[in-house]
Amino acid sequence: MAYEPPVTDYDEIVENGTCAFCGCNCDDLDFLVKDGHVVGVRHACRLGASKVMEDMDQRLLVPMIRDENGELQEVDWDTALDKAAELIANAVRPIFYGWSETSIETMKHGIRLGELVGAVLDNQATICHGPSLQAVQNVGYPVATLGEIKNRADMIVYTGSNPMNSHPRHLSRYSTFPRGWFRQRGRFDRTLVTMDPKYSDTAKMSDIWIGFEQNGDYGFYNAIRAALRGKEIDQDFVSGIPKEDIMELAEAMKNVQFGALYFGLGLTHTLSKQRNIDMAIEMLADLNKYTKWVLTPMRGHFNVNGFNIFMAYEMGFPYGVDFCRGYPRYMNGETNTIDLLTRKECDVFMVIAADPGAHYPGGAVKHLAEIPVIQVDIHWGPSTEIADVVLPGSFIGVECAGTSYRMDGVPIHMKKAVDKPETCRDDEWIIRELHERVQKIKAEEAAVASK
Amino acid sequence: MTYIEKPVVPKVVKLEEPTATEREVLNMMLNTGSDIYQGACKKRGSTCKDEYRKVCGVAYMDPKDMARLGVSNWDTVKVTTDWGEVIVSAVHSRDAPHEGTIFIPKGPWANVITSHETYCCCDPTYKGIYCTVETSDEEVLLMADLMRAVYKKYVVDEETIPELESLGEMPVYKKK
Repeated sequence: MAYEPPVTDYDEIVENGTCAFCGCNCDDLDFLVKDGHVVGVRHACRLGASKVMEDMDQRLLVPMIRDENGELQEVDWDTALDKAAELIANAVRPIFYGWSETSIETMKHGIRLGELVGAVLDNQATICHGPSLQAVQNVGYPVATLGEIKNRADMIVYTGSNPMNSHPRHLSRYSTFPRGWFRQRGRFDRTLVTMDPKYSDTAKMSDIWIGFEQNGDYGFYNAIRAALRGKEIDQDFVSGIPKEDIMELAEAMKNVQFGALYFGLGLTHTLSKQRNIDMAIEMLADLNKYTKWVLTPMRGHFNVNGFNIFMAYEMGFPYGVDFCRGYPRYMNGETNTIDLLTRKECDVFMVIAADPGAHYPGGAVKHLAEIPVIQVDIHWGPSTEIADVVLPGSFIGVECAGTSYRMDGVPIHMKKAVDKPETCRDDEWIIRELHERVQKIKAEEAAVASK
Repeated sequence: MTYIEKPVVPKVVKLEEPTATEREVLNMMLNTGSDIYQGACKKRGSTCKDEYRKVCGVAYMDPKDMARLGVSNWDTVKVTTDWGEVIVSAVHSRDAPHEGTIFIPKGPWANVITSHETYCCCDPTYKGIYCTVETSDEEVLLMADLMRAVYKKYVVDEETIPELESLGEMPVYKKK
């Protein structure tokens, strides 16, 4: 690792910026600004800093449309927006996917547009924490804010999650290291447990690592539940963990004052999916007979929780909301993006601040290669390679203000630090403009039909 | 340090492993997921660059498995599942030992071979997929070339794909 000298050449510091990367939404960043660009970031982790100090080579700066040779061509905003509006207005089964890296204010216009054309509105939860939301619907949710956990927790459990890689400041800012009101010695007052088949970077710094076998989560939680209820465990090993260790861990978890369990995609992406989380939550219900335990999903994007909260508040369902019948519907396995794509139902796909090209399984991307794709984003990415209309947005939290929800459901205002590139537009403006244009097309069609 | 050329990986040493007999093909379990190098490179936006290929187009393997297969750091391997096959570089995992398991950070390379099966639970199965790993002499493709070779959205004649010129490490579009 090379030494990098600190950045000293800057004009001003914009304090208390909010990080637009993961669900931690760290709101203590200082942006060092020079000539309208952020040249340095203080307090951010490697992930946050790299996002704020973006790669300008690949910044989307101009609207583009594919020409007949399949090459992207720069066009003016009017042409690009008209083309996108025409595609959306004439679609039979459109999906508007993404939203997790944009503001709640943008989503407001997204819902209006979705209702108007009968679209499916879905966000990244559908490929990450969707099963967690289903489990919450199944068995409830012992909720706490990150601040409560910081002040009270003496045992922190990460299961199926590797925060040292995907939420690097989570341990230092919210869970393990900070001193809290009842945990004056910080790290020394807490026990850190990692449950992961992999000896991950988080496991390496934990007090206890439970490396149960692959797909062994469900059996392991059930064994702990049995131990908590005073039942005898028949087998000597459950999911590769000796019976005695399970009894010991169950005893330790019972005897803490305040425990917090954080779970990640290790649970939602394996075969048992939401049943894993059902079981993890039920394990906490059992633990709550003895002491206080809470749980929080480790949300990936800074506003992925925001979409779920906003949608549940406005429409009654957290994600995968289908407006095709004129009223909101939600049906797992029916109205979710991956299922719609693999069944080849969707005919126009709009992606707002997300990257399905990089993060969808190949089977779903194959259908995206057959239908028109509209992209609203800030960077040229794998999705741009399969996009037909590209609309360059702006960077929430740096170039544009907005509201987002942290992983524990606390809303945070993200303020603006610098101006956006002149040729870009705010996401909110783009979606509002699309809504107005689609409305106009629909009104014209209705006028023709009535004659 | 936010900019890297490629992830720092431990150097593989020749292991004196009496049970390690060299094999042509390994039957393994594939996991995909986020990784700090992948996250930093992706969100900075450097997806066309060689760096993205170095952080995402890699299979983190146990050194014993690498010894069995006879590959060293940054040698290419072909990973095949029921859903497809992809060429990636093999590197020594910093989370080893995890014999029998490989980890490919999430990204276009991993997703060529992940399962889109949601079992009506909305979430595809990104982890715990059976795969085979074998040595290969093909090169790992850059992101833009990979998207073109796999999804073929704007390719006129599919048979010409191997001969097409690389799309390179910068965005390609016609300016006004």
